[in-house]
Amino acid sequence: MPAVSTPNEQQPTPAGAAWRQVRAVLVALHCIAVISMAMPAPGGALRRSAWQDPTVQGEFEAWTDRLNALGAGITKDELEDALWEITKTWLSARSTALAPFQPYYKYAGTVQSWRMFVAPHRYPTRIEVAVREADEWRTVYVARSNEYTWNQRFFDHDRMRAAVFRYGWRSFRSTYYQFVDHLAREAKRDFPEATALRVRFYKYRTASAEEVLTHREPEGQYIFTRQRALK
Amino acid sequence: MSPARLWGAWLALLDRKEDGLPLAMVRIFIALTVLMTLLDTLWAGVAEAAWIDVEFGGYRTLSANPWLVELLGGARPDVVWPLFGVAVVSSVLLAVGVGGRVTAFVCLQTFYGVVGLNMHAGGSYDELLSNALWLLVLSPSTATHSVDCRLRTGSWVGREPVASWPRYLFILQLMLCYWTTGLQKVSAYWTPGGDFSALYFIFQQPSWQRADMRWVAHVFPLTQFATLVTWLWEVSIPLWVLAFYYRLTEEREGRLRALFLRYDVRSIYAVVGASFHIVVHLTMNVGPFSYATLAYYPALFTALELRGAGDWLRAKLTRTAEEPVATP
Repeated sequence: MPAVSTPNEQQPTPAGAAWRQVRAVLVALHCIAVISMAMPAPGGALRRSAWQDPTVQGEFEAWTDRLNALGAGITKDELEDALWEITKTWLSARSTALAPFQPYYKYAGTVQSWRMFVAPHRYPTRIEVAVREADEWRTVYVARSNEYTWNQRFFDHDRMRAAVFRYGWRSFRSTYYQFVDHLAREAKRDFPEATALRVRFYKYRTASAEEVLTHREPEGQYIFTRQRALK
Repeated sequence: MSPARLWGAWLALLDRKEDGLPLAMVRIFIALTVLMTLLDTLWAGVAEAAWIDVEFGGYRTLSANPWLVELLGGARPDVVWPLFGVAVVSSVLLAVGVGGRVTAFVCLQTFYGVVGLNMHAGGSYDELLSNALWLLVLSPSTATHSVDCRLRTGSWVGREPVASWPRYLFILQLMLCYWTTGLQKVSAYWTPGGDFSALYFIFQQPSWQRADMRWVAHVFPLTQFATLVTWLWEVSIPLWVLAFYYRLTEEREGRLRALFLRYDVRSIYAVVGASFHIVVHLTMNVGPFSYATLAYYPALFTALELRGAGDWLRAKLTRTAEEPVATP
């Protein structure tokens, strides 16, 4: 068989000819639907509160400097406001354009969202879990640690990594609280002597290559500390 | 080109037929990736926590559920576990090629029904797999190398040509994923004008690390080069699309076409892409993303090319096995 051929040399039936046209329209619509939805959009990142994170603020600062180097004469706040308005307008137009295709995305699973590693998170978080036993806090889990490994298979799974990554952002606070409640139920089973559970995130600036090489790694701080009584 | 001629060219493109091997390979790899991610999530104890509503033992309220779950009554164990079971079984059937498009449809709806329950606990791989399953619904992917083929023709290898356009849709989907992720990499760390330190800092994020990655500070210039190559590769994906177009119309003339064909730009892009996925898989835990994307790769080639690659690999392996052992 040749690798690619162009048959249909015979005269198609009327039904076959009609189907040929319909198929061409449907395939074209599929292409339009997926290309339209794949076009850039910030998705859940369009939250003014999320823009206050030092990682995002660092990006605004860097772009303000770049634009000013080109003679734009703009402040960081002006850039932020302008981007906010442009993004809102773009998302509104995008939403209108995608509306006719929404059933296709929903029922055919053709959703397109390719925001992958759009920027390094310069101020990431590392989750830590501790239980209180005999009036002492004992750390039982630290993300990526080989020493504190309670429930490691669960926490290290890619789906929970994605979830925990989100719960390090303020905008996911209510789900984070539910997540802590869930961990408390698990801890109650695994640490029957423990009286309380504490979950928190260590937020820090990632060290530059130079800082790593000269052993000058920046200090971070704990955020979103949440405790649950186990007894 | 007039609209009528353009439409005629579109019809002619959709009329093209070819050997079904690439689609069969995509079907098998996608089905196995779906199976792997489902079983792996179950094994890690994540399935119950992530995909069952908090009221029934999960960790969070699941309200914006996929349509099938809503129809069946919500993210309750008696809904989710049967869906999970059907997704597992249908992915196995899809891999061996039983039931053609119907199996692909069942697998899509049950898989998306389950993984779509908790969008916090998932990644782009879920969408990439769902997209592929829908394209398998549109494809005659069991025309060859399948139980369906064996039952229909008495042979595992089908001889009937199949439509080429489903394979083109797989190519489009992969290109869209790569290109639009590149367009969204607008960070100062990725783009020209900065120091191209994006990959170095991404390696430092604990969320995706397999191990401590501070050691890459010693090869920082290499990470800068990799950042530049990644960004350029992604934003220039339209050149890859052009390479496919030139390959499709190789009988025509043109300097640029000749250049693209002589240096096989299409394969260069594929090699860079595959290398990128291998490095990501070795250094970071981003779930089955690398498997899901690489499962699309057989669609980038014709059956003839895939068979040629297979023959080359077989010859290499045979030669290696037959080489005499050196004696002192």
